[in-house]
Amino acid sequence: MDAIWEGLREAIRLIASGDAQLREIALRTVLVSGGATLLAMAVGVPLGYGLARTRFPGRTLILGAVNTGMGVPPVVVGLVVWLMLVRSGPFGPMELIYTKRAMVIAQFVIATPLVVGFTAAAIQALPREFPDLLTVLRAGPLTRFWLTVREAQLGIMVAVMAGFGAVVSEVGASMTVGGNINGQTRVITTAIVTETARGETAGAMALGIILLAITFAVTLLLTALQQRRAR
Amino acid sequence: MDVRFDGVSVRRSGREVLHGATVQFAPGRVTALLGPNGAGKTTMLRLIAGLERATAGQVLIGDTPVRAGTTSPHVAYAFQSAVFLAGSLANNLELALRFRSVPPAERATRVREAAAATGIAELLGRDARRLSGGEAQRANLARALAMRAPVTLLDEPLSGLDAPGRRQLLHELPALLRAFGTTAIVVTHDRDEALRLADALVVLLDGKVRAQGPRAEVFGSPPNAATARFLGYTLLPGEGGELIGVAPRALRPGPGEVELEMQVDDVLDLGVRAEAWGTVRGVPVSVSLRAGERAEGAIVVSAARAAVTRFRE
Repeated sequence: MDAIWEGLREAIRLIASGDAQLREIALRTVLVSGGATLLAMAVGVPLGYGLARTRFPGRTLILGAVNTGMGVPPVVVGLVVWLMLVRSGPFGPMELIYTKRAMVIAQFVIATPLVVGFTAAAIQALPREFPDLLTVLRAGPLTRFWLTVREAQLGIMVAVMAGFGAVVSEVGASMTVGGNINGQTRVITTAIVTETARGETAGAMALGIILLAITFAVTLLLTALQQRRAR
Repeated sequence: MDVRFDGVSVRRSGREVLHGATVQFAPGRVTALLGPNGAGKTTMLRLIAGLERATAGQVLIGDTPVRAGTTSPHVAYAFQSAVFLAGSLANNLELALRFRSVPPAERATRVREAAAATGIAELLGRDARRLSGGEAQRANLARALAMRAPVTLLDEPLSGLDAPGRRQLLHELPALLRAFGTTAIVVTHDRDEALRLADALVVLLDGKVRAQGPRAEVFGSPPNAATARFLGYTLLPGEGGELIGVAPRALRPGPGEVELEMQVDDVLDLGVRAEAWGTVRGVPVSVSLRAGERAEGAIVVSAARAAVTRFRE
């Protein structure tokens, strides 16, 4: 219990002092996880729409794979991405391993199934007549997509929150492909691991509290947007 | 613009929901597509709107075959349940016109006119998804009318309305559709609604078109016993397997052209008139009695010859 209070005091002290290293780690965390979430949205929302609105052989298999992807351990994703990006791997010459880009790629792989799965579910939950209405109104393909996403936006916001929540809190993939290099690829979760390993539990707790605060702030913003639309 | 079904069948999940339908919907007329639930009425509307694929035959609007997956610009469709997009009712009514490249000024006029015709002019600024059931149903109709399409499809347009609203729209809708000059196809399972709304009837039973033609013709002399039964005829066993169909409310107490014996089971006296229930040849029937008229045991009931049709099936 003492460690928690000490951590809280340390967190307040670090934030109040405007600790440059902490600021840098927090900013990197938001940029890497935010970037990965935005990319996952750009790819996942159209894919979710496609899966919800088209019928083709193997669709159930793909939906099953997406749903499985929602529960794949980040460290496994990290391992696969590491094998792809490591110098001897197929994308080795691109020299992405142990960079922020590598972390974005790994987090993108983690977030995308969540965005696809939640988006497909949100679109399928729209009234059964909805796609027929768009056909009868003679909406073009892009307009259909836009109107459908607009109608399903409450569920899609959940997809974004789930995606961001999953990547900002993961440690395995970031550690594996980013390498936790101080000043370059260290994010809050990997910094917590480092602090804990050093026995700096107060510092680790402080970082944990800051991570929670960031996650809460982003989710609160998205929730506020979601609820404004729901009114 | 006429709409034709040429031997159209639809098979869904191993079941034939429409069986070789050959029908012609006359241009500029209101036709009621009449049948019980699950008869295939909505399937026929969906085929015209290109929302369903025929497994055999073809549907033509004018001379153009309908392409599955695309609704012809000549077709407007009001679904049974009113679905709206986020936004005001005016935006919703306007949307279809925008997608059909109607100029903005023309769009505003059409929206206003359709809303006024359906009695929802004062609701145009409201959030379309917060309308009451009756308002939404009128808005659904207004959206279809605003398109001013040569072919208008209405699926149970009076469902979800309360009794006064339904009575009013039943009174206004036929004139409204005729004024728009559209070929209107109205799905209903209600015989009286069909008779009030339409110039022509198409009777659909178990996925088969069992009757079609002007309403007086179909209703006055149904071509088969199944249609007669659905239209409310009383079917009585006759000689040699023949069935005698007596038109609804045609049976009266007392002698007449076609006389039958009725066994009276019960009489309900309502003051100004009474209702007698019983059986004719074992088939349950009821007749209305005038005030003071008595009925007990076996009485003679009759119908005019024109109200009786004989079927061999």
